[in-house]
Amino acid sequence: MDRALRMAKEALENGEVPVGCLMVYNNEILGKGRNEVNETKNATRHAEMVAIDQVLDWCHQHDKDPAEVFAHTVLYVTVEPCIMCAAALRLMKIPLVVYGCQNERFGGCGSVLNISSANLTDTGEPFQCIAGYRAEEAVDMLKTFYRQENPNAPKSKVRKKECSK
Amino acid sequence: PAGPGAMEPDYKRRKMQELDDPPWEALLVLPELESQEVELILAYAAPVLLKTETSRLVQQLSAARPLTELPHLKRVRARGGTQPLEVLLCLASPSQDTGALQTLSELLPDGQVDICGLGEPFLVQVPARAPLTRPQFEEAARHWPTAFHENKRTSQALAGQLFTPQDKAAMQGHMEQAIHAARQGAELGMVPVGAAVVDTATGRVLAVGHDCRKGLHPLLHATMVCIDLVACGQGGGAYSYHDYPACTFLPSDEHAVSGDGLPYICSGYDLYLTREPCAMCAMALVHSRIQRVFYGVASPHGALGTRYRIHGRKDLNHRYEVFRGILEGPCQRLGQEVAS
Repeated sequence: MDRALRMAKEALENGEVPVGCLMVYNNEILGKGRNEVNETKNATRHAEMVAIDQVLDWCHQHDKDPAEVFAHTVLYVTVEPCIMCAAALRLMKIPLVVYGCQNERFGGCGSVLNISSANLTDTGEPFQCIAGYRAEEAVDMLKTFYRQENPNAPKSKVRKKECSK
Repeated sequence: PAGPGAMEPDYKRRKMQELDDPPWEALLVLPELESQEVELILAYAAPVLLKTETSRLVQQLSAARPLTELPHLKRVRARGGTQPLEVLLCLASPSQDTGALQTLSELLPDGQVDICGLGEPFLVQVPARAPLTRPQFEEAARHWPTAFHENKRTSQALAGQLFTPQDKAAMQGHMEQAIHAARQGAELGMVPVGAAVVDTATGRVLAVGHDCRKGLHPLLHATMVCIDLVACGQGGGAYSYHDYPACTFLPSDEHAVSGDGLPYICSGYDLYLTREPCAMCAMALVHSRIQRVFYGVASPHGALGTRYRIHGRKDLNHRYEVFRGILEGPCQRLGQEVAS
């Protein structure tokens, strides 16, 4: 989690949403991710999606079955995965997610919707969450980021209210 | 020998089936609040036994017991015939025991309301929120008279009157492109789902793609493919589609940025999708700021109407319109063509 927080800090310094994550399999870090929305002009390039791609690449390079690897991978992420990422983690059948602070705006593990534990037979499998680890540090970074505003996001009418969290 | 049908190529058989399809309708998929059942809460009302006291009672009640949280509720209702008018007194406490009714002097103890002309109070269920659609209004008004500010566009859409025949012809053309992509993907062993992105300002198709979850990447559902193809068109993108010739995009110099300021990823664009997307894809479209989604058929745990309504939540930072039923017949058959 220390490393995930350091990556989030790096993202903050680069003007991206400060979320960092690691995917760990057999005590080995197979995937690292931070938000890449601005570089790719693709709003779905969240830290978790980037890390999933790295684990898939590792599987291809090491001739491992991705299904077997993801089934024994733990995700460490500084912020609760959003609804999209929570569904993606289900589809990859990752069993456990350790995260820091809640994601009040988009959270998919209880804050907005509970995708992580819902009964969705066509969207992979539910996963367990361990929440709140070093949440204060993670939330402070988000606050700093939203105070300076995301220069790449469109103007939003509801933004002010959301940022008060 | 085989019958004449067995020798016909696929497309000819499809054409015959399509002639048998009933005409399709674009049906609005209501957002979360608009689709909910009318929520009811308990309130106290009382009959007005002296009709001449009505306006005084309403005035005094409005001052002493304003229904600040429930401005949609009318104060008085007429039940018709010879029955007395009934006036809303106040909300009941959530712990109100329906067996032990409070009296007028208990409900209005401070003397601000002269109870002259009022009959015995009774409990009534009233709508907790203002109705947003005509069906909600009709349901709400069955419980207590309720104000309704009709949203013309929603009513038109619910009545299937939003699109002109020209609109529908264009929509059909775009969905046909999505279906065509789905079939091309299926020939490569992919899940038969297709999608197309259209710039609403110009009517141009910016991206066409099919599901790649069985090949390129397990998360590349047709929607995710199209979002990334649009990003490719804007000079970004995370994946390469050269093994999938049916996944195409229009480079951005051919569809110059219009209007004031830069568009954000998919803002101002429509997505045509042969079937309802999952939660990942529906939320990806929130992040991408899509304008509208048109899909053919529902999915068992779909996130735009069936299981969730991710497109119309007040607690997310972007909302988009959703219509289902576009070329429903051919979209429905996409699943079966591969299954058989």
